[in-house]
Amino acid sequence: MAYKRQFYPGDSIPAKNRRRYMDPKVKLKKLRDVPMDDVVRIMGHRNPGEDYKSIHPPIEEGKEPECPIRKLVVPIEGAKHGDRVRYIQFTDSVYFAPISPYQRAWMYLSRYRGVDTGTLSGRQIIEVRERNLEIMAKEMIDNETFDPALTGIRGATVHGHACRLDENGLMFDGWQRYQWDAKKKEVVYVKDQVAIPLDRKISVGKPASQADLKKRTTIFRADGVDMREDKEVTMYGLRIHKLRTLGGYQPWAFKE
Amino acid sequence: MVSNPPADYAGVPLPEVQIITNRLLSAETTEAVLNKLDVIEGVRQINMTGESIPKTINSGPAKGLPNNHTERKVINVNGREMELRYLVGAFYIELEVADEAELDDKLEEIKAACDSCIEFGYVLNVGRYSKYKPTLHDYRSE
Repeated sequence: MAYKRQFYPGDSIPAKNRRRYMDPKVKLKKLRDVPMDDVVRIMGHRNPGEDYKSIHPPIEEGKEPECPIRKLVVPIEGAKHGDRVRYIQFTDSVYFAPISPYQRAWMYLSRYRGVDTGTLSGRQIIEVRERNLEIMAKEMIDNETFDPALTGIRGATVHGHACRLDENGLMFDGWQRYQWDAKKKEVVYVKDQVAIPLDRKISVGKPASQADLKKRTTIFRADGVDMREDKEVTMYGLRIHKLRTLGGYQPWAFKE
Repeated sequence: MVSNPPADYAGVPLPEVQIITNRLLSAETTEAVLNKLDVIEGVRQINMTGESIPKTINSGPAKGLPNNHTERKVINVNGREMELRYLVGAFYIELEVADEAELDDKLEEIKAACDSCIEFGYVLNVGRYSKYKPTLHDYRSE
């Protein structure tokens, strides 16, 4: 019998969203369209239109060592060209951001090939070959896992995910990479992800309402959906805890 | 580290009103709140805290560049200018009052001032949250 892949237990809204974001067969909704050049500007790794910095001589001309793995694995486009590995890092607010760092890791690893990702308490970095990164970054800024007010694109000094929001509902950023445009009621980026000022403001659209965010979030919270209200999720957590505590590094050896 | 108190220690634990706001306040709102609190009789000192806003970018490739944060600016509190270094999220107001009845009156005034300026609400507590007399540390630091 072919094993059917499962993603996450539970019937609550956050549990369902976790499954949706992780399942590569689900096409995530596109909520905005930030032009590719602007995504490149916000990341700040190269100027729009500039060539990708790749190894020279090109891989095809050079002599690659004999390696069975190289024959087995189809390289992603950036690896084929020998691009640099670059990064984008997102910070997600605890105030019902559409996704949180740990689920980002699950989502990235489930949906993309050739990525290296790292989870920290409030931020999630993804490292990948430059030309693939740009496509992924645009997808992630455009789709429903991004909210202009509660998700920050921050390469360094990410402090703010657990801070109170400001009066405009924006997540705190000591470097103020993005600002509230009161006229348009939109969030605009004025600095790139490491706070180098941009030549012009880049709009990333209007923030979602709290009611909408509560439907989209993957975050269990006492003032939203409490994790304990979802019995299956609770049991899943408890089961892992039990196996780890009583089974140590041999969970299979533990009999109920 | 030398820790000079913002105002002279009272020597006795005068009541302190702690106001934690539900949202971090903009410079404009902070200015408005302070202007309303400052005129209340019996307010001995007001301390504020919140999230720090650096003057310059303090790490990464942009290190040293001016931060140009719109909320890091000089505000005017009843004629006195002061530079904000925080996105303010809490006020500690020390009150010089004789008895409970007077304290209640002052609390009403403080609540009225906050209600008129702080849009997203706040939590107010009365207690003692900072030191009120010198400790060994103050002697050591001199």
